[in-house]
Amino acid sequence: MTTTLIATRQHHFRLGEDEQAIALVRTADGHLLHTADGASAVSVERDAQGREWLRIDGRRHEVFIATRGDEVFVHLDGEAHALRYQHPLQRLAASGAGSAEDSVRAPMPGSLVSLPVAVGDAVQRGQVLLVMESMKMETTITAPRDGVVHSVHYAVGQSFDRDALLLELESNA
Amino acid sequence: MNRLESKINTSAADFQANAAHNRTLVAAFREQQRAAREDRPQRDVERLRAQGKLLVRERLQQLLDPGTPFLEFSSLAANEAYDGEVPGAGCVTGIGIVSGREVVINAGDATVKGGAWYPLTVKKTIRALDIAIENRLPVVHLCDSAGGFLPLQAELFADKYYAGRIFRNQCILSKMGVQQVAVVLGHCTAGGAYVPGLSDYNVIVRGTGAIFLAGPPLVKAATGEENTVDELGGCDMHTSVSGTADYPAATEAEAIAIARDIVAQFRRQPKAEVERQIPEAPHYDPAELYGVIPRDIKQQFDIREVIARLVDGSRFHEYQPAYGKTLICGYAHLWGYKIGILGNNGVLFNDSALKGAHFIELCNQNRTPLLFLQNITGFMVGREYERRGITKDGAKMIMAVSCSEVPKFTVMCNGSFGAGNYGMSGRAFDSRFLFSWPQSQISVMGAEQAANTLADVKIRQLAKQGLKLSAEDIEAIRAPVLGDFKRKQSARWSTSEIWDDGIIDPVDTRNALGIALSASLNAPIADPRYGIFRL
Repeated sequence: MTTTLIATRQHHFRLGEDEQAIALVRTADGHLLHTADGASAVSVERDAQGREWLRIDGRRHEVFIATRGDEVFVHLDGEAHALRYQHPLQRLAASGAGSAEDSVRAPMPGSLVSLPVAVGDAVQRGQVLLVMESMKMETTITAPRDGVVHSVHYAVGQSFDRDALLLELESNA
Repeated sequence: MNRLESKINTSAADFQANAAHNRTLVAAFREQQRAAREDRPQRDVERLRAQGKLLVRERLQQLLDPGTPFLEFSSLAANEAYDGEVPGAGCVTGIGIVSGREVVINAGDATVKGGAWYPLTVKKTIRALDIAIENRLPVVHLCDSAGGFLPLQAELFADKYYAGRIFRNQCILSKMGVQQVAVVLGHCTAGGAYVPGLSDYNVIVRGTGAIFLAGPPLVKAATGEENTVDELGGCDMHTSVSGTADYPAATEAEAIAIARDIVAQFRRQPKAEVERQIPEAPHYDPAELYGVIPRDIKQQFDIREVIARLVDGSRFHEYQPAYGKTLICGYAHLWGYKIGILGNNGVLFNDSALKGAHFIELCNQNRTPLLFLQNITGFMVGREYERRGITKDGAKMIMAVSCSEVPKFTVMCNGSFGAGNYGMSGRAFDSRFLFSWPQSQISVMGAEQAANTLADVKIRQLAKQGLKLSAEDIEAIRAPVLGDFKRKQSARWSTSEIWDDGIIDPVDTRNALGIALSASLNAPIADPRYGIFRL
C-alpha cells in the first residue's frame, strides 16, 4: 500500500537552533510522520503502569513527554530534547520582517510628560520610551523591540496630534 | 489562535509595587466581605439558636451540592448605607448547583435586623430574580424575614422597582415555565407571604415557619380576634387545611432535603449552543493581574495583559489589530466557551467606536457571547472629533450594545467614566452579569474635572455680577465636590448601591465568568435585530 500526501499543512518546531518542518497524517493504525528525511509510521502508547512508549517504524522506545505552553520536553534514549512550537501566525509574521516597529507614533492626541531616553540610547523591548498624557490619562509607550534610539521628535511639554511620529529606532536592516 | 505574548517584566520594581498595592486592596476587600458574612451581634445568633434555626450560610451548605461552586452576588450590598448596620443588605443571593441544576438562590438572613427588608434588600432580591428571568434559571427561596423595614417603607413599597416587583418577577418566571421552590423557615408576613404563595412548590417547617397576610398582633388590633401563630398560619394548618403550603417538615434540615428533592424533579432544558472546546488554563498566571493593574488610575495599561491572564491558553485572535487601536476586539475561549472580547486601550475615537459596533454585530451573527473589559475615560472630545461625528459613531456602538442578543458580561477593570461606561455595556445595558475589581471607579466624569467644572460655573455666575472669588472660596467649592465624588465613584460605593453584581478578586474573575457563561446559556439566544444606526 502506498500513502499519498494530500494537502498536509506542516508544523514548525524549533529544536535548539534548527527549525524542523514536519507533517502528521492519520493512518488506519496510527500516524505517518513526514520529515525532511522521509516518512515514518509513528504512535505513542501508554501502558498499564502509565509509562509512555513511542513506536517509530516498529521499534519501541520509552519516552517521557512534558509540555509547558508552546514548549515540549522529550526524554528519549537517555537524551533530553527541548522543542518549541512555532505558531504559524507568529512564524509567518516574523518572516515578513516589517520595518513598522522602527517608528513609534502617538496612539492619541496629547502632550509629552516625560522622556527618559535620548538619541543614541540602547533600549530593550518593553523599556519605557516616553510617557504622554491625553484626556487626563497617562499612557506609557514602551520599546516595541530591542534597538537604538535614532531620533526623538518632541520635547517634554509639547503637544501633538494622533499618529504623530514621536520617536524612531535605528533600522535593523 | 495565537498566544498573546506578555510585554510585562514581572520582576520590575513598578510591577512589584503595583502587586503589593493591589494585594493590599484585595486583602481589605476580603476582610470586609468576611465581616459582612460572619460578624453578627451575639444576641441575634443566640436568638436563632434558641428557636432551633440554622444561620443562612449553614442552610446554604445543606442546600447546595457538595463540592460545587457558589457564585454569590453583591456580598457587600448596603455596606455603605444605613450606617453599615445591614451587611450584605440582609440577604444572600447567588447561583449555585442544587441536585445537579444551576439555580438562583434567594435567602433571607435573619441575623440582620430579623431579616427585615431594607430598600437595598429589595433591590438585591429583584436583581437576583431578574438574573433568573434573563438566564431562565430556577429559583430556590429560603424565606426568613420580619417583613418590610417600616421606617423606610416609602423607599421600598410602591414604586415600579420596589417590593411589588419581587412578586411580579415571580409571576413572570412562572409564566416562562421557570420553576421556583420556596422553603418557609420563619414568618412570611404580609407581602412576604406571596413569596411561597407564588412559588410552584413550597415547604414549611413546623413550629418556626408561618405564612399570613397579618400576624396575630395585627389581627387582634384589626378585628379583636385572638390567635396563636400556628392556628393563624402554621405548618399543619397550611399543608392540611388551606393548601397554601405543600410539604410539611419537622426540621429545617428535613425542609431543605425536601426542597433538594423537588429541584431534582425539574426538567432540564437543553442549553443554547455556542462554540466550545476543552478548557485550558491561561498560559500566564492570573495572579500577575495584581502587578498589571497600575496603582494610579490615571495610568494607562495594555488590556491585552489582562486578557492574557483570563482566557484559555492566553490565546487571542485579535480583530482589526491595526484599526481603532484604543479598543481591542477579538475572540478567545474562557473555560472552553468561545467569547468575543472588547477591552479599552484608551479613549474611544470614531474608528474605535465603529470597530466596536462592527465586532458586536459579528458576535451576534455567529452566536458568540461578549465580554466587556472596561477601562475607559470616555469618547474623544474636541472640534475635530465632533466634526468627524464622534457623537454619531458613539451612538452606533451604544445601539449595537443595547440591541445585542448574545449574553453580555462586563468587568469593571479600572476606570469607567462618562459615556464610555455606556458604550462598554455598563449597568444600564443589561449585561447578564457585571463584576467590579476592588480598585475600579465609576462616575460621569473624574472627580477633579467635576470639581473644576462646578467651580468654573460659580466663578462665571459671580463674574456677571462683577464679583470675583478668592482662592479660598474656590477651594471651598471644590473640596466637598471632590470628597463626595471620590467616595461615590469607588467600587465600594457602586457595589453597596448594587450597580454591579459584586466586587471580585481579579484572580477569581476567570472562575466567576465561567459560572456566569454556563448559567447564561440556559436562555436561548435570539436572532440579532437592531434599531437605526446613525450613518
